[in-house]
Amino acid sequence: MLVGDFPEVLRRAAAGDASAFARLWRDTHPPLLRYLWVSAGDAAEDVAADVWLEVARRIGSFRGGEHEFRGWLFTMARRKMIDRHRYEARRPVSPTGNGELLDRPAADDTVAAALEYISTETALALIATLPRDQAEIIVLRVVVGLDASAVAQIVGKSPGAVRVAAHRGLRTLRERVAGATVTSPGRGGVTL
Amino acid sequence: MRVFAASLAEMWFSARKRNRLSPDEATAELLLAGRHLGRHEPASQRTLERVLAAAAGPATERELAGETAAVTAFLAALPEPEPARRRGPRRLPVLAVGFVLVALVALCGTAEAGALPAPLQRLAHQAINAPAPSPAMGVPQPSADVTPGPGATGSQSTPGSSGPSQESRTGKPSASPKPTHTSDSQGNGNGQPTASASATAQPTAIDNGKGNGGTPGQGGSPSDHPTGNNGNSRN
Repeated sequence: MLVGDFPEVLRRAAAGDASAFARLWRDTHPPLLRYLWVSAGDAAEDVAADVWLEVARRIGSFRGGEHEFRGWLFTMARRKMIDRHRYEARRPVSPTGNGELLDRPAADDTVAAALEYISTETALALIATLPRDQAEIIVLRVVVGLDASAVAQIVGKSPGAVRVAAHRGLRTLRERVAGATVTSPGRGGVTL
Repeated sequence: MRVFAASLAEMWFSARKRNRLSPDEATAELLLAGRHLGRHEPASQRTLERVLAAAAGPATERELAGETAAVTAFLAALPEPEPARRRGPRRLPVLAVGFVLVALVALCGTAEAGALPAPLQRLAHQAINAPAPSPAMGVPQPSADVTPGPGATGSQSTPGSSGPSQESRTGKPSASPKPTHTSDSQGNGNGQPTASASATAQPTAIDNGKGNGGTPGQGGSPSDHPTGNNGNSRN
């Protein structure tokens, strides 16, 4: 997060300063990509590029602080992701017709990999094994750093529903981690 | 009183609800907020904490690999709103100058064609050497402004028009003679008004007759007495 520098960086980026935009991009692109990777799978890079193109076009009209900027950007990302899902649903390219299962990793393999060496990729892969709405909410809260109200606005649910979905998702994750821990050799099992 | 009791009860219930977060829910809120758990937490919770911390970890090289392409796309996308911002203020002067030019060309063309109202045509005549205003122009203009040209030559065959013009040159009042001569030239008297008008026209005709070599008003011999002739001609 840019925190105190954000207003100046935003002002310069809106005026066309490439270095300011690059700083904004470096700060926001990794969480955006992680959110899209969990929510949109292989299309993450393409959707992210679309999002930044729209940001470049509309950044001059944006007003608000850093949290509002992130809310604005991720709302845009979610809309584009949904559009993409609809487009792919109308024109399926997968020969099996079940792309959702193909682009989401198997839970057992991912948990085992995550516990061997928890890198960002493996952690995201583990989160991506959750139902899509829970995974999306957990990434928005943990990775992007938004509170329940901001996430509720992005996903179009009430803050209470967002909390419930996040808690359920974490409980599921913990169960998977615990199961893998129990079955992993050399590690003490933990019952929850 | 009942409202106060109800609000107190509502506050109590909501506080109890807040405090009734299960340990799992309280821990989940800590995890979601990115807080660290204590050592007393179960291992699975601490493993989950590590997973979430890894998911929110620092940017990787792979994630930042597209920076150059993103900045290039940003610069390519920027020119769209920029000219739109500049075009607004710049268009107005260009349009204004264009409009003024078109108006000037139209005005000059009209002036060269001699179709402007007399005062404007005179102005154009002085300014850009456009044709001078013709006597036929300027319908609303009084006859005194139009007649000097023909009147100066003294060769007008219509007596009604030359008479008053000369009078106006000599500074005489021109209102009463004009109808007189007109009625005279028509030859059909209107009776009383004509006679009185010719009477007033007489001194004028005499004065002018001396200066201009004859009175054109009566269409015949300049030496005739106007009054008598008028009377005779009518009869």
